[in-house]
Amino acid sequence: MEQRLRNEAKALLEQGKVDWIIGFEPGSLKFTTTPVITKDKNDVDRLVINPFIVNNLANFLTEVTGRVGIVAKGCDSRSIVSLIQDNKVVREDVIILGVPCPGIIDLSKVERLAGKDRDELDDISREGDKIIIKVGADKKEFAITEALFDNCLACELPTPQEYDILLGEPSSPVVNKPAAQAKIEKLKQMTPEQRWEFWKNELSQCIRCYACRNVCPACYCQRCFVEETEPQWILPTPRWQDNLIFQIVRNIHVAGRCTDCGECERACPVNIPLRSLTKEMYDIVGELFSFKAGMDKDAPPLMTHYEQEEAEDFFR
Amino acid sequence: MKQESEWGPKLVSFLCRWCSYAGADLAGTSRKKYPANIRIIKVPCSGRVDPLFILKALRLGFDGVLVSGCHPGECHYQTGNYRARRRIAITKKFLEHVGIEPQRIQASWVSASEGGKFADVVAEVTEELKEIGPNQLFSEERQGDGTKATE
Repeated sequence: MEQRLRNEAKALLEQGKVDWIIGFEPGSLKFTTTPVITKDKNDVDRLVINPFIVNNLANFLTEVTGRVGIVAKGCDSRSIVSLIQDNKVVREDVIILGVPCPGIIDLSKVERLAGKDRDELDDISREGDKIIIKVGADKKEFAITEALFDNCLACELPTPQEYDILLGEPSSPVVNKPAAQAKIEKLKQMTPEQRWEFWKNELSQCIRCYACRNVCPACYCQRCFVEETEPQWILPTPRWQDNLIFQIVRNIHVAGRCTDCGECERACPVNIPLRSLTKEMYDIVGELFSFKAGMDKDAPPLMTHYEQEEAEDFFR
Repeated sequence: MKQESEWGPKLVSFLCRWCSYAGADLAGTSRKKYPANIRIIKVPCSGRVDPLFILKALRLGFDGVLVSGCHPGECHYQTGNYRARRRIAITKKFLEHVGIEPQRIQASWVSASEGGKFADVVAEVTEELKEIGPNQLFSEERQGDGTKATE
């Protein structure tokens, strides 16, 4: 798959079909990958596909000009489609190199399973529905569902629906709904007061670095409401009240465009369980309007569309 | 010192200038009685209301927010109220998940000729807000006696 990607990417650049290739290369830390955005065909030999390609590269589409070849997993392809729906990206200008995604491995979960720091691990590999962690001569096996990101466990369509080149056989989802929903279910059991206290405590840690916003492909506004000064909606100082308003309103603003890729939660430096917010909004949108983000590039975006009769019950 | 019985909810409302705002006007000119707890902000259309306005109002200590626009199909701009409807629907549901009482977010359709309905809506909403009590969501003294939130 990796070799095929390199060949395709090289061909695209050589034939002048694209100006840019956006993909993943090995990161500077063990097991990690980092995005690579390049015009140079010699760089494509660094491109990789492995179970650690976490980032949602759709985020970079709005930042480069020209035609782009982009590596996309299932969720990334939905983010791209969502951008096409919003007229932020022209379909003809992107060549989607679809990766049938077997699920992305959460290194912090692996660390917990192995009881060791990632630097101390020698190898992490995957065989079918098992994950094998090697430390020296020691070999440990776990179920793959224990090592994947929560949002991967909730993913029903790991193979991109929208692509130009599919780099492998379609993969079947590794779904474990109870595990994926565990944190959210726990919140739902709480009383509203407890939930508010929970979010108050979590958002008290927020340092307002805006990493969650900056990695989000759906958050493409040139000017965000948090930075407006007239009127100043919220103060720039990270107080929990303003942090909470930022998170709530951010989620409302990206409703119908959030594809549950989980980037916000991964980007958070203080580990706020942001996916418990985004997934809830994802579910609300599905429940009220039977809308799933990024499924159909010709469908109108959620918030610009309406039905004659819907969601009427609470209007007086 | 404040008496418990004196407390009344503060309600901020965003009224569409083409219908609900005129409806509120009509309620006044036809001498309908309704609680004076409401503060009115005129907006060009209910579709103008960003959920951010609702959060900001709650942050400032208002006990409830009412968004009121034209009946479905009667929007001056054809589709503004339909869009407002979607937006408020997800806002209300989502805020419930975060832990905000859904009663604090209210919505209604009031046309320019429905002065009576406007008075009724304000009365009903005020009653509901009285039941759930003062908004202490963003107050540092949430566990306190509850009189500080709006001051």
